[in-house]
Amino acid sequence: MGKKDYQYMENPFQVTRREFLSITGAIAAFTALPAVWVRSRVTKRNNYLRARAAGLYLDDRNAKIRVSHGNPVVTKIYDEFAHAPLSEISEALFHTRYINRSKGIA
Amino acid sequence: MDDHALILKHPLRVRMFHYILVISFLPLALTGLALFFKAFDEPAMNLVMRIHVVAGVVLTLGSLGFFVIAYDRVVLFIRRSFAVTVNDVKWFAVLGGYPQKFLLRKKVAVPPMGKYNSGQKLFGACMLTGGALLIATGWGLWGFPHLLPHGMAHAFGEIHLILGLFLTLFLCVHVFLGIYMFHDFKAMFLHGRIPYAEAREAAPLWVENELVALRKE
Repeated sequence: MGKKDYQYMENPFQVTRREFLSITGAIAAFTALPAVWVRSRVTKRNNYLRARAAGLYLDDRNAKIRVSHGNPVVTKIYDEFAHAPLSEISEALFHTRYINRSKGIA
Repeated sequence: MDDHALILKHPLRVRMFHYILVISFLPLALTGLALFFKAFDEPAMNLVMRIHVVAGVVLTLGSLGFFVIAYDRVVLFIRRSFAVTVNDVKWFAVLGGYPQKFLLRKKVAVPPMGKYNSGQKLFGACMLTGGALLIATGWGLWGFPHLLPHGMAHAFGEIHLILGLFLTLFLCVHVFLGIYMFHDFKAMFLHGRIPYAEAREAAPLWVENELVALRKE
């Protein structure tokens, strides 16, 4: 296999400089514009997530009750009704079992 | 002109890239269909997904490599595929004469074509833009789904699915007609050359305007 195996080939200079630059510009534009658009959407989403997280941390810092065992309503329930965590009545009323519902989603 | 003379239609770089497309796009299409139709049980589907990802990486690297190594061919391909002339309208009006040939055994007049006929140009344009979108959305869905906003990830999935199905259907036509044009098939898969007489029949504008003789007969 070599050049001697054929007698004709395509003219290698059939694309003009203007066409070459135009097509290169079009490729650059069609690559860059969607990339810039996706980047701006992702940045906007990330800014929203950061603001939301900051709001949640702020709420947490300002909250008077920050843990469940420090919640007077919960301690009152255990004192007057359920007796203790993992007691028989707590297990029956506050705990749940795993049920695979993924088939229903599909 | 000597009708037995040979023309180099598909240079080595193009043939190599076509091989990469064959070994990557065909598995991608088949595994994509299997994933879409949930064809197998869970372990088999996991394997299918892995094959899909590996073939996608091969397609991406092959395409990027060809873009860098053979940028002149990319420019030429874009110029040919996206250049629409009145001949293309006339070609589509008779669909290249193929239905008449296959169904009625009748030969109709077809306008003169360049290196690619109008159907091949449409296929090339769809493969180039659709393939680029498939690669981009595929990477987004597989590699960076956590970075994408929910709506965008959903849109990527829809685009990936619709383009995948569309290009797979288009590929069936391409494979059928590719094998039907057997000289071209051999040229693409073996030596890159086609006979002068064949080229003058199928692509007279290409022969007339774009070829140079290497030596005097």
